[in-house]
Amino acid sequence: MAAAERGASRPTGDNRTSRRRRPPPLTLSAHFRLRGVGDYFRGQSARTWCEVEAGWGGERTIVRDAGLEAGARNPEADGGMGEFKVHRVRFFNYVPVGIRCVAYNHQSNRLAVSRVDGTVEIYNLAANSFQEKFFPGHEGRATEALCWAKGQRLFSAGLNGDIIEYDLEKMSVKYSVDGFGGPIWSMAADPSGSYLAIGCEDGSVKLFQVSPDKIQLERTLERQKGRILSLSWHPSGTHIAVGSIDYIAVLDAKSGSTTQKMLMDKRHPGSQRRRCVVWGVAFLSDGTVVSTDSAGMVQFWDSETGTLVQTHPLTSSDVLSIAVAEKEDSLVVGTAEGTIFHFQLIPSRSDGKQSQWVRTKPFQHHTHDVRSVAHSPTALISGGVDAHLVIRPLMEKVEVKNYDAALRKITFPHRRLISCAKKMQLLLFQFPQRLELWRLGATDAAGKNEDILPLSRNAEHLLQLKKKGPENICCSCISPCGSWIAYSTASRFYLYRMNYENNSVSIKRVSKLPKFLSSAFQILFSGDSAMLYVASNQGSLHVIQLLEGSLKHLHTFQPQSGTSEAISLLAVSPDGNWLAAAGMSSGVSIYNLKHLKPHCMVPAYNFPVTALAIAPNTNNLVIAHSDQQVFEFSIPQKQYTDWSRKVQKHGLHYLWLERDTPITHITFHPKRPTHILLHDTYMFCIIDKSMPLPDDKTPLFNQLSLREASENVRRRHAHAFKISKKFQPLLFMDLLDEGTLVAVERPLEDIIAQLPPPIKRKKFGT
Amino acid sequence: MVNLRPRRSCRTLPVRLVVDQGGDEEDSERESSEEERQDVEFPDGDPVAEPMADENEDEVEDDEAPEEVTFASAQAEAKEDERRLRDALRRDKELLKEKRKRREELFTEQKKRKLLPATILEELTTAPQTKINESSSELKKGNVENENKEKKEEKMFPKRVKKRYMACRLKDQDLIDLRQQAAKGFLQKYLYGRGSNRTTVNKFLSLNNKRLLVKKPAVQFVNNSWGMERKQNAKKFKKQWMHKKKLASRRPNII
Repeated sequence: MAAAERGASRPTGDNRTSRRRRPPPLTLSAHFRLRGVGDYFRGQSARTWCEVEAGWGGERTIVRDAGLEAGARNPEADGGMGEFKVHRVRFFNYVPVGIRCVAYNHQSNRLAVSRVDGTVEIYNLAANSFQEKFFPGHEGRATEALCWAKGQRLFSAGLNGDIIEYDLEKMSVKYSVDGFGGPIWSMAADPSGSYLAIGCEDGSVKLFQVSPDKIQLERTLERQKGRILSLSWHPSGTHIAVGSIDYIAVLDAKSGSTTQKMLMDKRHPGSQRRRCVVWGVAFLSDGTVVSTDSAGMVQFWDSETGTLVQTHPLTSSDVLSIAVAEKEDSLVVGTAEGTIFHFQLIPSRSDGKQSQWVRTKPFQHHTHDVRSVAHSPTALISGGVDAHLVIRPLMEKVEVKNYDAALRKITFPHRRLISCAKKMQLLLFQFPQRLELWRLGATDAAGKNEDILPLSRNAEHLLQLKKKGPENICCSCISPCGSWIAYSTASRFYLYRMNYENNSVSIKRVSKLPKFLSSAFQILFSGDSAMLYVASNQGSLHVIQLLEGSLKHLHTFQPQSGTSEAISLLAVSPDGNWLAAAGMSSGVSIYNLKHLKPHCMVPAYNFPVTALAIAPNTNNLVIAHSDQQVFEFSIPQKQYTDWSRKVQKHGLHYLWLERDTPITHITFHPKRPTHILLHDTYMFCIIDKSMPLPDDKTPLFNQLSLREASENVRRRHAHAFKISKKFQPLLFMDLLDEGTLVAVERPLEDIIAQLPPPIKRKKFGT
Repeated sequence: MVNLRPRRSCRTLPVRLVVDQGGDEEDSERESSEEERQDVEFPDGDPVAEPMADENEDEVEDDEAPEEVTFASAQAEAKEDERRLRDALRRDKELLKEKRKRREELFTEQKKRKLLPATILEELTTAPQTKINESSSELKKGNVENENKEKKEEKMFPKRVKKRYMACRLKDQDLIDLRQQAAKGFLQKYLYGRGSNRTTVNKFLSLNNKRLLVKKPAVQFVNNSWGMERKQNAKKFKKQWMHKKKLASRRPNII
């Protein structure tokens, strides 16, 4: 589509008003909301040729929402990428939840991230910053603090006053302990990791001893006036600096008494009405306390004398967070404007005896408040209300200038939120609080390459399924025939039977579920929708036969060799004979479903699996890892295929390896057995196994240039990777039938439009 | 219009006047009652005797001889009285009895209502037993019978324990919620409240648009009907302010 066309196809204000007049959805019951078919897109049929198919994409109006696009690429000109009709879906109204805390673990090089809704995620920075683990959120848990203690144990504390420990192997909450001090604002582990200090609403600082299987209250330190909003241990573990409203106090951890109290300056500009809130403190080993406050200052205090040493006014808004490097030669602060500032300890005299903290670099990667920062040995990590997790490497700390030294911005989860019923053309969207079922639009028109086709039937919102209880949805799936929907929270599993009669949908919950189906990490239906595979807690894998109105438990595969690690991904072969399951960090195991026994294990690989699929007919298992390697494993022969060996010998293209989002979905073309279709957030790729592999000298993204080139050139330069970057950010892509693709996009502007208000800033020229 | 008074009132009026003169109210009441009685009795009695009776009314009452009652009738009357009294007493007693009975029933019912359902009570009584059994079985593991028993009871026990609820005291929960609300309010006030210098998303997104060469439509359109009241208030304030300014500028000229 030409740019001019795109501009012309923008809807006018009239369309918007018609959209505003759309009737509210029918509410049938508290739990289900069905929408009347046909009344949803009333008043939108009269459009011109280019813009008929506008659907509903949140507040912003974008053309081609549920549009069909004749992505008609000439097969020969393309070198065999094929010709597809593409359903371009933009009505997945997903808004990632803002980040509240980040905590970096030096031992395992992992990053724990907690979000406003209580979700906790673990990113493995060594494995290409892949989101390895994920604890679904909970309404009652407003996490305010997150820390690692005793090696690799993860604790969180929140405004409900509880301290929670997470079981990182079984993927569940181990226990929660009441802090008995009201809402908890801050938490930090002492340098040895054997004590946790929490700062409470009532002004008390409590020490908890971390024992192997629980934590126990040891002592309450001297109570302060006002809530303790920030807290930091001295690296020797003897003193604690706490920040409250208008003051910083230094407490003795042994005796529990206050040794020093430093009052904040109340004459800051703009703080007449508001009090000075100390959002963050950091205690350095030389006794310096660094504070960040709501007046926009970073201040350095001497904790011995209680005097102010240095003041850096940064912004007119709040400075919300601070983190110090382990070596204490650099620190990072995050502000409400979305800027993070890097401070470095720089020798002020040539002999190096004196050194001074200097503000060196500002970085603006966020649009909204940076609520939390962390400092890894080589990078500054920040997260905020705009839900971006930004990992900014420090170039002076990076030894090898490879692609690991590049900036990383993680916005979307590294798991699939969408499942698709291909035959019925249904999409199931998973939100933290609800599920939505949509039917795709249809067209009768045909067009040539890059045309936008008019819709004869608009996309329909069929069903909204709200979760019950305080726990968020952790996984969901729709069966390929569309007649079953399953989802699970941390403690309950739900299965629904759908019934589609012309123009109406009815839903019925399957009430008699077996007792072992209490929760699930991953749900999958077989290709003929007759079987249900549920990866449950402690690594067990249930095989259940679905009958009309009842369930029959066939088998449970227990994890091998006594590991109780949760399963993160499942794949079933289209003929229903093989099931592959990938653990969180262990390898992929394959089960024979005909004889209900384990078949084999795929040789172990260091990096976690991001996507998994079994090809039809050949039963080749295609595995994508977080380091962007793609393997093909023949299940019947229990070995890697020749193509996979060839790829490993030849090596993948450097641009392929430098992509920074993992492959989240793999699918196959039913008519072309040599094709593998896969996608990540920023590209869609068809790998043609029959074509030669590209080497580092050939351009990887040469689809567009090859189209115009002559036959000879085309033949010479064509290679196995056909990449399209047209759809971005791409959350899901699947093949509906031989010639139709569905692509679900989520433009970033739509997300920003639904975030809380940002800080007002003056920009030159506006 | 003239209302014709009834005859009787015409006749009684002088009497009443006389009585009023006498100033004895009781007499007048008695008189009137007497009169009524007379009116009622009029058809039976002698109409001629009436004025005479009227004249010496008091004497007639005083001189009336005690009614003659025969012994039998008196006895019957007395017996009747006695019987009535007894009956009343018995009825009272019965009523009291019934009342007591009803109250008793109510008490028992209340007691029953206060108690938990029988099934729960049964289970509660069995629950500690299992614990005891468990501990005892741990002590003497060899006892097969005991283990069997324990298994049986364990099977029964999880049926109740594995409920989808958690017991908590509502009073504490209210306090926690209240404190959590206060904490969230604090956060909201300091990050998004007055003086936090926030802008709207629309304005924020339009910043880039303003500097672009190709101007795009705003991401969110504003409805003009929003904030009507505030706009009017602002208009009014502006008017007042201008008026005040005018007055202030005029004042030095006057003085």
